[in-house]
Amino acid sequence: MSKNVNSTQFRTVDVDAYDEDNYEDEAKETGDSGAAEVTERANQVRGLLNQLKTKEALKMALQNPPVGNKDASVKEQNYETVVSVLKSFKAADIDGAVADLDMVEVDILMKYLYKGFTCSPDKAASLLQWHEKVVAKGGLGSIVRVMVDRKGI
Amino acid sequence: MTTKTEQQLFVGSPVTSHAFNGALDKLVVSDNSTTVYVYAKDANGKWTKETELQKHIERVKCVDWAPKTNRIATCAGDRNAYVWNLNETTGVWEPSLVLLRIERAATYIRWSPAEDRFAVGSGARLLSVCFYENEHDWWVSKHIKKPIRSTILCVDWHPSNYILAIGSCDFKCRVFSSALKETNDKPETSGWMPKLSKFATMLAEFSTQGWVHSVKFSPSGDKLAWVAHDASINIVHMNNHDTVIRSLTPSLPLLTVIWASEDSVICGGHDNFPSLFNIVGGESVSKGIRLDVKGKKAGGGMSAMARFKALDRTGDDTKDASLDTTHQNSIIELRVKKSDSAGKCSQFSSIGMDGKIVDWNLDALASSIADLKI
Repeated sequence: MSKNVNSTQFRTVDVDAYDEDNYEDEAKETGDSGAAEVTERANQVRGLLNQLKTKEALKMALQNPPVGNKDASVKEQNYETVVSVLKSFKAADIDGAVADLDMVEVDILMKYLYKGFTCSPDKAASLLQWHEKVVAKGGLGSIVRVMVDRKGI
Repeated sequence: MTTKTEQQLFVGSPVTSHAFNGALDKLVVSDNSTTVYVYAKDANGKWTKETELQKHIERVKCVDWAPKTNRIATCAGDRNAYVWNLNETTGVWEPSLVLLRIERAATYIRWSPAEDRFAVGSGARLLSVCFYENEHDWWVSKHIKKPIRSTILCVDWHPSNYILAIGSCDFKCRVFSSALKETNDKPETSGWMPKLSKFATMLAEFSTQGWVHSVKFSPSGDKLAWVAHDASINIVHMNNHDTVIRSLTPSLPLLTVIWASEDSVICGGHDNFPSLFNIVGGESVSKGIRLDVKGKKAGGGMSAMARFKALDRTGDDTKDASLDTTHQNSIIELRVKKSDSAGKCSQFSSIGMDGKIVDWNLDALASSIADLKI
């Protein structure tokens, strides 16, 4: 049979761009962190970790994530802060730390865990240890809220 | 008192929508096909099929029964809605077409409290409020379009008949005025509508992270509750739109919500059981109390034949494949059946994707579950 030599360029057309009623998320001004706050928080967390105050460090790291920020490096920086705290925990202490968090912080931690699964798959084993404890506290609902989140953390 | 009575209405299809008549002895249901069925309660209290209403050419998405005027409204993917009137002499339900003027499927339909109009939500990103025009003897619709940006999933009427709430796929729950000049409406101001507003004026807008699956006004109409796909329950009081009481539940997303009293809601969804949530101190929502008490399976043992069959097929002869909840699949809709004048619910029903309809008795449940307080 003859080979198809016609152009398949049409497959790369973004049809949504031509749809007048296409749904776009609103770009809302929210009170989440800017670059300065993220750096400030990173320093504070490092300080707490040096004093071996791991639980306080975790709570601090999960405050006000830069969700609405368009700058990827700011989000990356906050992610590194959270990962550094998670790394500093011994397996036995994870339970106690998760018990201290409220539901909003549990949701934020879950979002960072899933970001960790995609960005740092090599750390998956330790992240899964955290995942088990966080699901025990936040339930399947906290996982659903990660899936449903439209703005990446 | 039995806490619940279940009945397998359909085998192999879900019950996608249901509604009761005023006397609660008749039921209208859809099974995700083009046919609508009317069931009647027989002498044993079981639902038996009475008639079939066949007019839609695409699957029926939603049904509603107006209890006082005894009319059934149905809407379907064929972009049409029908109002069915019972011919007293022949006992036949006669359909009359409603001109919705929508370009996409109709998704939800609800009669207003006064039953002089009904609202139809659609995938065309607009709501049609339909009322009867006497001169032409048909139902006409007026649209609420702005600023809804995606498919409407649920609608609820305020007891005043002039305000409605819409939940849609654009992650928002909104409250609109539906006061029509054509029907000589004389609305009053309230917490939801501080200034008299004309039809389609948006009175409030609330955001969530997921699709809003179900929205309901409280019995007095002062509060509004909605459940969304981010597994949250949200409640707001009309006098304070800025404070939304949000409960991030640890369960799977809830699909339907009803008010059990002025301060408590019952929700059901992908977890297959209804749960009761109390509003504590007007500020927060309590942990959900599961209303589907796990009953111990009587007997528990399988017959010898069943054991060998299971052993042959799956290599395991001990597992029973059914779930320990009454509904074997998600609960699609809850309906308040009986409630007193203060709005305290005593009986409600649930339908699920497993094709079952379950009748729940809240008074009996209250005595059987230890810490259940409504």
